[in-house]
Amino acid sequence: MADLIKVTINGNVYETEKGARLIDVCREHGHAVPSFCYYSDLALQASCRMCLVRIEKMPKLQTSCTITCTDGMIVTTESEEIEKAQRAMVEFLLANHPLDCPVCDRGGECELQEMVFDWGGLEERFSERKNYAPEKFLSPMVANDPQRCILCKRCTRVCDEWMGEDAIEAGGRGAHTVIGTYDGWLNCSECGNCIEVCPTGTLLDATYRHQARPWELAQTITTCTFCSDGCQLSLGARVGEVMRAVARDRYVDGINGEFLCIKGRFAHPFINHEERIRTPLIRYKQGGRLVPATWDDAIGYTAARMRAIGEAHGADAFGIIGSPRLTNEANYALLKFAREVIGTENFTASDAFSLAPCFENLSAPLATHRDIRFAKTIILVGGEPEELQPLTGKQIRQAVRNGGARLVIFNSVPIRLKEQAAQFIHINPGTEDAVVLALAGANDDELAAGKLGVEAKTLADVRRALDETQGDCVLLFGSELSAAAMATLAQLPQLLGAREGRRFLLHPLPFYNNSVGAHDIGLMNAKLSVAQLLDQAGQGLRALYIAGSLLPEHLRGREETLRQLDLIVVQELFETETTALADVVFPAASFAETDGTFTNNAGQVQRVRQSIPPVHQARPDWMITAALASALNADFGFQLSASAVFREIAEHIAAYEGLRYPLLKDESRPVQAKHALAGARDMTGAIQEIRARIQSMNVTSARPTETPKVGHELFKPGTLTSKTPQFPLLYAGNPKPPTVLVSPLYQITVDANLRATTVAAGD
Amino acid sequence: MSQQFLPDNPLPQEAKVPEEIARFSPAVEAEIDGHLAKYPPERRRSAMLPLMFIVQRERGWLDKPGVAYIANRLGVRITDVWETATFYSMIYTKPAGKYHVQICKTLSCKIMGAGNITEHCAQRLGIKPGETSADGKFTLSEVECLGSCGTAPMLQVGFDFHENLTTEKVDEILDACARGDYKFAVKVR
Repeated sequence: MADLIKVTINGNVYETEKGARLIDVCREHGHAVPSFCYYSDLALQASCRMCLVRIEKMPKLQTSCTITCTDGMIVTTESEEIEKAQRAMVEFLLANHPLDCPVCDRGGECELQEMVFDWGGLEERFSERKNYAPEKFLSPMVANDPQRCILCKRCTRVCDEWMGEDAIEAGGRGAHTVIGTYDGWLNCSECGNCIEVCPTGTLLDATYRHQARPWELAQTITTCTFCSDGCQLSLGARVGEVMRAVARDRYVDGINGEFLCIKGRFAHPFINHEERIRTPLIRYKQGGRLVPATWDDAIGYTAARMRAIGEAHGADAFGIIGSPRLTNEANYALLKFAREVIGTENFTASDAFSLAPCFENLSAPLATHRDIRFAKTIILVGGEPEELQPLTGKQIRQAVRNGGARLVIFNSVPIRLKEQAAQFIHINPGTEDAVVLALAGANDDELAAGKLGVEAKTLADVRRALDETQGDCVLLFGSELSAAAMATLAQLPQLLGAREGRRFLLHPLPFYNNSVGAHDIGLMNAKLSVAQLLDQAGQGLRALYIAGSLLPEHLRGREETLRQLDLIVVQELFETETTALADVVFPAASFAETDGTFTNNAGQVQRVRQSIPPVHQARPDWMITAALASALNADFGFQLSASAVFREIAEHIAAYEGLRYPLLKDESRPVQAKHALAGARDMTGAIQEIRARIQSMNVTSARPTETPKVGHELFKPGTLTSKTPQFPLLYAGNPKPPTVLVSPLYQITVDANLRATTVAAGD
Repeated sequence: MSQQFLPDNPLPQEAKVPEEIARFSPAVEAEIDGHLAKYPPERRRSAMLPLMFIVQRERGWLDKPGVAYIANRLGVRITDVWETATFYSMIYTKPAGKYHVQICKTLSCKIMGAGNITEHCAQRLGIKPGETSADGKFTLSEVECLGSCGTAPMLQVGFDFHENLTTEKVDEILDACARGDYKFAVKVR
């Protein structure tokens, strides 16, 4: 516990930690101090002058956002003098701000509007002409109305400190300062965080602008469905249509604060997309067409076919494939279906890699995103969090920039995070395993260094840094590690031993929103990988029940063998390469239409809430599975309630023991699943395996030297993201249109050719 | 139609300098290196202003390749260069004329008739302050105090001061420029 000091605010004495910021202390204790430019955990600006307070023995009014509390400080936040100053500030802010709230998209949730209600005057005394600049687009995602800007510079700081992109900056000088970018076009990761933090209507969501007013939207707090970080966001829906996704403080307060990436913020149009599968579909004969059917028919048909196959070939003729994109409830229902209805252990989930070796050998807790922000040493082996897990990327960047953490990156690609790294160790492609070998001990330095293509001294330096760490040390790893290396890394905290003042934390970087959950439920623990399961097609395997779609890497080249199967049942949102093989397709509900939970890469179990009723005839995945089970005379005991499914998960899965939906209610206090920690294991076998693997490895020293383009992964038009019309345009390089006054959407409709080609190129 | 959408502008991270100014002449490069040597390597960006002046001197204004060159030399992003460049009226972010006529508009000069001088210049050159003449010879601008209040009104051509102005004196200067035999006392480019 840090030292406590006493601060007097408006006559009340409060105890607070040494080094606390005055504005935070005031607000914490209910003394409202207005501000625009102050933003927690960003560089200080003190340009709006709204947070003025009187501090005894200090000349003039002081900006409380730049004052660090000292012992015995006597502060007044409310007095006639202060109010007069604040009213004058608002008057100045409005000198150039147009009073066009009725046509401004931010109207109704605008910080300036609210501040003017409290501190504004009744009339304007400035009679001078206001600065005027026409509204324009800064990118397909960001619309800009420069005259509304009050120059709080939150956007530029967020762009720099959170994203490390410096894409948006303040140009010009004095009253003519404008927020913008070189050449007037933003070529960045299009995260839209500048839009989120803007307190006025200067930067607006171009995809949502002029489509709804905030008070028409029903806000639902839910978990993002894209990457494994599990950001909390608020879906704004109007009569069954999701209009936008935001993380604004006034609606939601999750692990990510107001941070979202382009996918979380802009990739929601798939929810109400016209190409959603509307009804169950049945392909009655091989090579035929998928024909719409009623739910009763489709369930009945599937059940009858399954029963026939079961009777003819036995339970092991079935394969059940869950998905790391689905809720825990959906995956649990599938597992239960496999075990209790079919009676087979042929189940798995269509994830790119399994986290089982990590969790089986887990010897340190999982690092939450908050832990990463305040870590002292961060080791990143492989992966590319700024593209694949953007919140983790942002937390790492802030840990270095604002927290002074030491970041060590091992990667064969000079990823963008290397700008923040104290040590960027450029290794040969495919040699990530050797890093683990080197971290585990000095014995193999010669071998590891040789294969990695670095000097042995570098590896010794990293080990020394690990040794000297005081505070938290986070080990992050990507998908490149082999099973043995992942297991050894998970045991590294044990191998290196306990040391006073040092705590190890692990943070895997899986790709999907519920990769960890799919593992926890037990789907990924199965003996089978997806590839192994699919390879049994034609040799015993007669039927597949797939929730979601197979990954392209699993599907490609196996289409012909899969076509030979007797029955393929698929639950999907859209027609994909997998549904093209299916005999029965059930329309599944998206994350916005279902209740459930996702488990993120920090092991936090977070709620998914229904924002709109399922579109068309879609149903939640677990409900489809339960209906199918009941058609096969098995009663799951949960037909209509997701919480009942979760209650059963809590009873059967040790890590989720005791959890209930009410306990997961508060998104600002996420609950971490209790993953069992394995004690010290004998890792000699695994290390031997890694050593053998490395020794036999043919390495090439041809390392990519160019930092990959911003958005090379984020903009990839996938099944879901390509439904946002802007994604293909961004993936094509985000060219600046000839006129930025025309809606970027209009430009996209004109250019249908390019869209078609890029969708094809990006899977 | 799809032609114009081909990705042609680089992302900020990968500002590519067109071949033509990957390097300046050895003398200029040496000058730039001299400025860079004044600062520790991790504080290279401190040399931004001197570099801007050099690039501007060599190229007339801070054009796209020029901005990209500075960003690459200093290891900063294009937007950082843009931010700095737009702050200063002496850095041209648009093409500027050969003769940049800057008339002081601050108090002393204003009292002594800077307004008339500006109007006279604008009339003679046929351009408003902030504009460049069609022949690319003149740029006219009104600037804040140039520190020559004792000799107001005054204007500056390039870096040369012309003080105690009258309309006749202004005509002489502009005539010399128009004829092309104006001698810069301080080298501009």
